[in-house]
Amino acid sequence: MSHDKQELLVSAQDLTLRYGSKTALERATFNIPKGRVIGLLGHNGAGKTSLMKALVGLLPAKGNLQVLGLTPRQQRGALLEQLCYIPDVAVLPRWARVDELMTLMSGLQPRFSAERARTLLRRTSVGEKDKIKNLSKGMVTQVHLALIAAIDARLMILDEPTLGLDVLSRKNFYEMLIDEWCDGERTVLISTHQVEEVETLLSDVMMLDEGKLVLNISLEDMDKRFVALSHDPATAEAIASAHPLLRYRQQGGRSAAIFDGAPPADIAALGERIRPSLVDLFVALTRNPALQAKNV
Amino acid sequence: MQTWNDSAPIYQQLADRLAVQLLDGSPPEGQALPSVRALASQYVINPLTVSRALQALVDQQLIESRRGMGMYVMAGARQQLLRAERHRFLEQEWPALRAKLQRLGLSAKDLNWETPQ
Repeated sequence: MSHDKQELLVSAQDLTLRYGSKTALERATFNIPKGRVIGLLGHNGAGKTSLMKALVGLLPAKGNLQVLGLTPRQQRGALLEQLCYIPDVAVLPRWARVDELMTLMSGLQPRFSAERARTLLRRTSVGEKDKIKNLSKGMVTQVHLALIAAIDARLMILDEPTLGLDVLSRKNFYEMLIDEWCDGERTVLISTHQVEEVETLLSDVMMLDEGKLVLNISLEDMDKRFVALSHDPATAEAIASAHPLLRYRQQGGRSAAIFDGAPPADIAALGERIRPSLVDLFVALTRNPALQAKNV
Repeated sequence: MQTWNDSAPIYQQLADRLAVQLLDGSPPEGQALPSVRALASQYVINPLTVSRALQALVDQQLIESRRGMGMYVMAGARQQLLRAERHRFLEQEWPALRAKLQRLGLSAKDLNWETPQ
């Protein structure tokens, strides 16, 4: 086994998933290395949840898939012992106390550390004797993360973990994730709609559009590959003639355009290079028929 | 959450913010910077991005990596930053400011030089 292979937590080739006649995932090929924070972005129905379920062996997918060296569908039990997963429909039992959940986890999960969970919970305002039903939604999500992050694993999969949380709860959640999980070795795959908020958190981004993986890139490479130009409205026609992926308006009303690769020098000279934001790129790549044609 | 603009890559903006703090003497020369993880947590930003920002400051010879101990502010960093910032102000900001003062007919004696307490 090569060194590179050992560093990969997930390796997927031509992953395809169908519900009847509907294709949820179409020939997705990607690798997930260690030590990354990967944002899985896509509109509703783009295939995010299906992809995550396939990774943990909850849905049968065609193609080759290895997660932590295991085949999810065949070795689901062994796999679930080694990874952390919060599905989008996750709920904690309302009747339970936090310490009861820790006892439950200790029984279910050989790699769970109650001590670690206690350390994580001390970051929050939640007490061990608190009942889930008395906690706010934000607090419940923090308890959930604390329980899951107390598992000694290398891969965490979070499906829309901050859905329905207010801004402060989301901030607390991401702070705990960055602080307590991301150590350069462990990886987290996180799906979300709140693209703007996770942008600075991510090391990589995967974008799904109608079941197709339209982008899989590190943020560092994204800055290099995609060029955004801020320009005067008067030059809009010339800019458009160079076929940008997207034309949009910046905050403050200036016109801007995103190019895949550097535009010709005479076009680049018409504007000032700015940072393409993940949100704009997301809009460009998931709503642009021309690009989708190009990627086929 | 922290706000970042779209003028430059995020690591660059973080490097700029840290440079402003160094200019204000925080942390002072010879002292350690917060760890990558502490900065990542403080700014809610990916540790790799933090490392890139610190590397940018290393490249400018403002901070240095001490093996196994983290990043330290180099001797002379503040002076160097001050020089660079003065140069930038005189080259980039002053011409526009001077033009505006002239347009408004204001001279040095019309300006309040007292620092408000």
